[in-house]
Amino acid sequence: MNKVLVVDDSSTMRKILARSLNAVGVANVVEAGNGNEALACLGRDQFSLVLTDWNMPEKNGLELVKDMRAGGNKVPVIMITTEAEKGQVVAAIQAGVSDYLLKPFTPEVLKEKLERFLA
Amino acid sequence: MKVEYINPFVQGTTSVFSTMLGWELQRGGIFAKNSSQPEFEVSGIIGLSGRAVGCVVLSMSRSAALQVAESMLGETASEINDTVVDAVGELANMIAGSSKAKLEQFQLSISIPTVIIGKGFAIAFPKEVPRVCIPFDSPYGPLTLEIGFKEGTPAGSSSNSVVVQAV
Repeated sequence: MNKVLVVDDSSTMRKILARSLNAVGVANVVEAGNGNEALACLGRDQFSLVLTDWNMPEKNGLELVKDMRAGGNKVPVIMITTEAEKGQVVAAIQAGVSDYLLKPFTPEVLKEKLERFLA
Repeated sequence: MKVEYINPFVQGTTSVFSTMLGWELQRGGIFAKNSSQPEFEVSGIIGLSGRAVGCVVLSMSRSAALQVAESMLGETASEINDTVVDAVGELANMIAGSSKAKLEQFQLSISIPTVIIGKGFAIAFPKEVPRVCIPFDSPYGPLTLEIGFKEGTPAGSSSNSVVVQAV
């Protein structure tokens, strides 16, 4: 059964993502408000997928991915962000991000991304 | 202020409202804004810094803000609560964030959004930054986007934080 970690400092965005996950059959959604909270969740549990924002207080999404990969965590990560500059996208991919979704996004585009990574 | 600095924010606003809420906005005439007070009761504020400084303020009526939460989340709110505040802040964040990609030459950083409730506040833009207001009509009432944008970094303006004061 899929369990997905949603990381964003905006409760609005966490709810939108959780609803979209529910719509594709994922009932088990865990939320974190920043990268540090996410790492704590990842240390306690197994996840099928991580959806993370980039710009967050304390530890941002890029730092989160780098820490995950440095610790040997290979869970797929979709970065969901407004950061669209080419250098930022390249940095994310080099850090180990599996896919990238720009905000704003339609439910259809998000669904397509999710279905690619969920069993 | 050059039109090429304003256009990304106008496009960002219409795109964000259309994509995330399904609202089609109609833009009105841009005007220079002399007052530092927000146009409407609920305002999401983002500071900009980098090789330019500035500020973005998305302002809307209380009823429009309540409808934002409903359109984005499917949650009906009867008053401005944490959910509504966060939704308006996230809209301002997406507008500023999606706009900055079209102003890549300025290597902009954007602040975490601040949301203020009420009109009895002065939103202090960075020093010497010109301020324009772009009105929009939406299916749920009018809203405005205020933009302040100035190339270069005035002395003492390396931060993207915005000062809000009660008046």
